[in-house]
Amino acid sequence: MTPEHVLMSWLDPVLFAATALGTLAGIWIGAIPGLSVTMAVSILVSFTFAWPLEPALALMAGVFTGGVYGGSRSAILLNIPGGPAAIATALDGYPMAQRGEAGAAIGLTTLASFLGGLIGVAALALGAPAIAEVAILFAPRDYLLLAVLGLLLVGSLSGESLAKGLFAAGLGVTLGLVGLDPMTAEPRFTYGSVELLGGIPYIAAMIGFFGVAEALSQLRLPDAEPIRQRIGRIVPPCATLLRHLPLALRSSGIGVVIGALPGTGGDIAALMAYDHARRSTRAPAHPFGSGAEEGVIAPEAANNAAVGGAYVPMLTLGIPGDAVTAVLIGALFVHGLKPGPMLMIETPHLFWFTVGNLLLANLALLAFGLAGARAFARIAEVPRAVLVPLILVLCVVGTFAIRNSLTDVWWMLGFGITGYGLRLYGFQPGPIILGMILGPLMDASWRRTVIAAGDDVLAAAIEAAGSTISLILVAAIVLIVLRSFSRGKGPA
Amino acid sequence: MLTRRTLGALAAAALARPALAQPWPPRDLTGIIMWGAGGATDVVARALTPHVEAALGAKIVLQNRPGGVGAIATQAVHAAPADGLTLLYGAENPQLHKVLGLAQIDYADFFPVNVIARGVGVIVANTSKPWTSLKALVDDITANPGRVRMGATGPGGLPHVIGAMLNAVTPVRVIAVPFDGEGPGLTALQGGHVDFMPVGVAAAAEHIRAGRVKPIAVVNPEPVPTLPEVAPVTADFPGFARYLPWGPFYGVWVKRDTPAPVRARLVEAFRTGAANPAFVELMARNGNILMNISGDEADAFLKRWQSVTSWLLQEAGAARRSPEEFGIPRP
Repeated sequence: MTPEHVLMSWLDPVLFAATALGTLAGIWIGAIPGLSVTMAVSILVSFTFAWPLEPALALMAGVFTGGVYGGSRSAILLNIPGGPAAIATALDGYPMAQRGEAGAAIGLTTLASFLGGLIGVAALALGAPAIAEVAILFAPRDYLLLAVLGLLLVGSLSGESLAKGLFAAGLGVTLGLVGLDPMTAEPRFTYGSVELLGGIPYIAAMIGFFGVAEALSQLRLPDAEPIRQRIGRIVPPCATLLRHLPLALRSSGIGVVIGALPGTGGDIAALMAYDHARRSTRAPAHPFGSGAEEGVIAPEAANNAAVGGAYVPMLTLGIPGDAVTAVLIGALFVHGLKPGPMLMIETPHLFWFTVGNLLLANLALLAFGLAGARAFARIAEVPRAVLVPLILVLCVVGTFAIRNSLTDVWWMLGFGITGYGLRLYGFQPGPIILGMILGPLMDASWRRTVIAAGDDVLAAAIEAAGSTISLILVAAIVLIVLRSFSRGKGPA
Repeated sequence: MLTRRTLGALAAAALARPALAQPWPPRDLTGIIMWGAGGATDVVARALTPHVEAALGAKIVLQNRPGGVGAIATQAVHAAPADGLTLLYGAENPQLHKVLGLAQIDYADFFPVNVIARGVGVIVANTSKPWTSLKALVDDITANPGRVRMGATGPGGLPHVIGAMLNAVTPVRVIAVPFDGEGPGLTALQGGHVDFMPVGVAAAAEHIRAGRVKPIAVVNPEPVPTLPEVAPVTADFPGFARYLPWGPFYGVWVKRDTPAPVRARLVEAFRTGAANPAFVELMARNGNILMNISGDEADAFLKRWQSVTSWLLQEAGAARRSPEEFGIPRP
């Protein structure tokens, strides 16, 4: 242990400022749909090229922490998730705002994110090497099983009709398949277009289906009175916090594990935690989908816990835990370090510096999150004539920024109009995005599993039966399905 | 500060190159990177560009346009005017787009401003495997045909091409399991989900140094400075020599019909930038071999690379269209 490095960014004013400003900037960037954390961190890599390493890392850790949290703001206030990790938050956060409880929802998400973040950091500090060793044991078949587990979420995201949810998920899977086949580089559904070779980014779909579709729905009632927000109480009462603590802790656990797996990140973690909340909460004060507090706590605790989780394989093995840590590894290269398994052995101070730094970033998140809550909650009171054009501009800018492609902007607008139509007929956008995220993961994992077993499905199944991780995942899937049946709710 | 630097550079350019009627560049340049942020191509591009900007006296605004194994960025730069203001920062991939049936554009349509550096491959194995040499690995594969698992990254990727070379030198039958890139493949290798994998030295060096993967042989005619202890593939199988040196490479291109004075200006700026000691050191540390070549020399390198690799893929049955169709000569 080298405590002086843990406190490094707390005592050095420059590092302190970099972390705090990074977190604040992250909250804003995260709150703008389409401006993703990955993008912000990539830009910062070149921006901080000439800086010394520590302030650069401090700034990026702040943006990472703040950005993952910031996505919940627009989810709650506008029904537009700021990023894929906040999709689940919109499901109950927005109905809370519609009840005039935007302030309370922001307060809850802030505390849940803070707690999740702390647990992520604790897992990183205390268990990083052990967690990383378990994470690399996940075989392609285990990612397949995780994706199947994820698909069971469709039930939670479908709204009133499971059939419509399944249809939406199928649409998402199909959209996710467009582009080059990851195994054979065979173009799929590209119809000879070079632009389509790169596929359709699910962020563009997310912005269209949530952002533009929401803006169009709001245009139906342009003169509707905005909901008056009760912003007297941001920090929820102690009793409420204690009641939700076990769920927040379990969700954080989900977040750490999913975040630490090299093939999955905060987006899947948040959705799985939301599903877990739905299944484990006996009698929510408000039903899920109409503003359940549990529905915002679980995903927000999980996605911020996933931040610490993502750092685990990055710092111990030089393997990225998600897209953001992949960029951070590139940044370490540029700064003259050699990210890899020796990083923690040769430069242990860097590990402890990051731990202390993330801790500080989470405190900054708590401070900025609660301080800005009242002002932010007022956004829900902005008249639609002002809000809707603003949303549309942000949607276009955000989509273009994904990879500087105008084609993506057209896709996004098309998805927006389609999404508006689907919404009128009771199709939810959540399963579409879930399908786009999980479809390619399932496709690649399934084929990898079968290829690795010499094109023999039976051999692959026998191999799975000999793996503890696979058996646990299969048991989880079977249990969830059986319990749903026994409650008479149908599968999932 | 920027203005003064820009003016100074412009003045110097005007003196040095009277052929240019107007000061060049007239505005900031755009650099389009064909791979995503944090990848090998991205790291090379972002590390080199500041030094080039200093030599050029203008800014180069970098954008990542990943997708389609580089085809999208290549297409985008090809669609831009041939004024030298849009640069393509790329890797080896477009040289295979024709035979893989992905696109009709390759580096023959571009002028090589600089082929910056090339990487070297190394064959690594899971540490629980008994193999200590390439020969031992090949013997094991021969004894268990279709049982040994090789990590790969899809058609045309480094593992795939080196696997094809090995197969051409000594027939071997392995299961190639494709992953999303070298990083995910190395992760799977450490988890024991594949048995061995050919990867770039840059990606594997730190894992080798930590003893988490076992180096079997470097795919080079002689040992490389980053891994001096590791035997070259030619030690056990001299037949490899006819394909080597071979490896991924990184470079900067503009459209072929860019005016000659503009090309010369860019070549000069990139040559100066790539010679910067900080950049040279970064390349060495990443296990890359600095090339810093341009023009005809680079064209010759690119042609040879395309010929060797396309025909390897053709013989391995992995090419969708024969190199013959495109007039790519046999090596």
